[in-house]
Amino acid sequence: MSAVEILEGGIQTTVQDYPGRRGLLAQGFFPAGPMDHLAFRAANLLVGNPEDAAGLEVTLGNVSFRVGADTLAAVCGAEAPVTVDGAEVPLWQSVQVGAGSELAIGPARGPGFRLYVGLAGGIDVPPVLGSRATYTMGALGGLEGRSLAAGDRLPLGDARGQPQPFAARPEYVRDWELRAMRGPQSAPDFLTEADMEMLFTRAWSVNPNSNRTGIRLEGGTFEWARRSGGIAGGHPSNILDNPYPVGAVNINGDLPVILAPDGPTAGGFVVAATVIHADLWKLGQLRPVGDTVRFRETTIEEAVELDRALDESLRPECLERP
Amino acid sequence: MIAAQRAGVTYRYAGDRALLVEYGEMELDLRLNFRVHAVDDALRADPPAGLVETAPGFRSILLSYDGVRPETLIEHLDGIHDGLEERLEIPSRLIRLPVAFDDSETRKAVRRYADTIRTDAPNVEGGTNVDYVVRYNGFADREELYEAVLGTEQWAGFIGFFPGLPFMFPLDPRETVFVPKYNPSRTWTPEGAVGLGGPCYSIYPVESAGGYQLLGRTLPVYDLRGRNAVFRESPLLVRPGDRVRFHRVEEDELLRLFENVHADRYRYEIEDGTFDVGAYLDWLPSIAAEAGERRARRDQAAAETPVP
Repeated sequence: MSAVEILEGGIQTTVQDYPGRRGLLAQGFFPAGPMDHLAFRAANLLVGNPEDAAGLEVTLGNVSFRVGADTLAAVCGAEAPVTVDGAEVPLWQSVQVGAGSELAIGPARGPGFRLYVGLAGGIDVPPVLGSRATYTMGALGGLEGRSLAAGDRLPLGDARGQPQPFAARPEYVRDWELRAMRGPQSAPDFLTEADMEMLFTRAWSVNPNSNRTGIRLEGGTFEWARRSGGIAGGHPSNILDNPYPVGAVNINGDLPVILAPDGPTAGGFVVAATVIHADLWKLGQLRPVGDTVRFRETTIEEAVELDRALDESLRPECLERP
Repeated sequence: MIAAQRAGVTYRYAGDRALLVEYGEMELDLRLNFRVHAVDDALRADPPAGLVETAPGFRSILLSYDGVRPETLIEHLDGIHDGLEERLEIPSRLIRLPVAFDDSETRKAVRRYADTIRTDAPNVEGGTNVDYVVRYNGFADREELYEAVLGTEQWAGFIGFFPGLPFMFPLDPRETVFVPKYNPSRTWTPEGAVGLGGPCYSIYPVESAGGYQLLGRTLPVYDLRGRNAVFRESPLLVRPGDRVRFHRVEEDELLRLFENVHADRYRYEIEDGTFDVGAYLDWLPSIAAEAGERRARRDQAAAETPVP
């Protein structure tokens, strides 16, 4: 079996798979998996992998590794210089990488924040609780449940596939629009209509303390429909502890936090809105300094249609032929 | 946003891939949690098409789904609710756990919070959260608080937040203790810390952030590495519907037991059994007046205590 040797690990590089660790919410495991599922799935598709193959999530670039055998690689995500043995190669396109070659990702200066590396055959670490996705807080999945560092070696599955480009490359920006549905806890029971209007019109700044557990936002305070949280606590954002969905816009006191794939599965704060599945990928590309988020209210009908279109763009038949 | 409403049931959209089902009103009524478990069991026994998984809360269940309309799940749940029979017994193990109150590790977490996050919070005065919980509930002293914690079995209503973290509620309403959560939350909590937030107890399974007031420390409740026999079948100690009863130990004894857990010399005290719901519901009225009086005294003390 072939292997990947990490030469530079960057600030946070982890093994991930999609859709991550499912079926364990009731035991307190959020799914983990890629923060940007679109770029991750595109990278897998481009190297001919099945959708559940594991790849790498790179935060902010500055990562390099060497492959032990000829393989096909694809890097998708934030704009960054990518080279194979020093020669620049395009993003969103699979390329041949020869045995012993070094693939290097330079700094991602934006827009966008994360990059995904698909390698033909997939990273073949053993699944833990049904997934290869790394969940660092629970110290499980990926390689020893942690971020990768120089000297780490990862087993690679068997290679196949032909180089090809990805047609439906998404647009990366600095001011992002996230489509979201109201609730589960919105107006008039928990927040006022004015609060909801503020949530859906204001440009929220992404706070530097954002990470794989959640995107913290700044930009406004809520007036709240209730005076207090009653038995659940003093603050009107408090509710009796309940389960959260991924993409929940969770109002912690007055701080909105969008729950990301490593976030808490349950807690005692209101969820005013939920980012739709077709837009969850954007969470992975929000830069924690300088980027803004505007929520746009949408309906379940539109959400389902957008999700279907996104899935459609990731079908092998939709790849451009060289 | 409400997707549908029935008597005692509210269906709320939670994005385009999840549905939140809530029972009753926002009250600390354990019957709501018994109902959650009955519905969750029915969903697991006969999962409707498109259901990916369920995640129970205290009075709610989150249904994750894929490829179906939420209306079909609502219809399925309506059917479950119509056919639901009051259950007289719930499979329930009793887990006895030692607790060292106000131990040095939880004090370290409080001190670190006061040093780095917020110095003026009323809940960290004196370098401990314990005195704040005493004050908020109008207890005469720490001993009275400890008696309340030790004086009742805790019902594990559900697991969540982090892997293996039990959300637990006192089965004896006379011993209910309330306290507001941290504001803002803490960035570090030791493994095994016993916390209280609102009326709910938790045990922290891993070193993590947290928002509950810390009362002390117990033994590990999560170990993926299976260092102790109890974790080899499942990395989680507590299951929903279990009961936990704390007994008091000194900190040096707890640390010795902690080591014994990792060395596989400690055997967790777990009794298989069932929880008699009928007997419990029959018993509640007999202590309702006393519970109400104590609650009123605690509410009065709470009203006079600053919130973090």
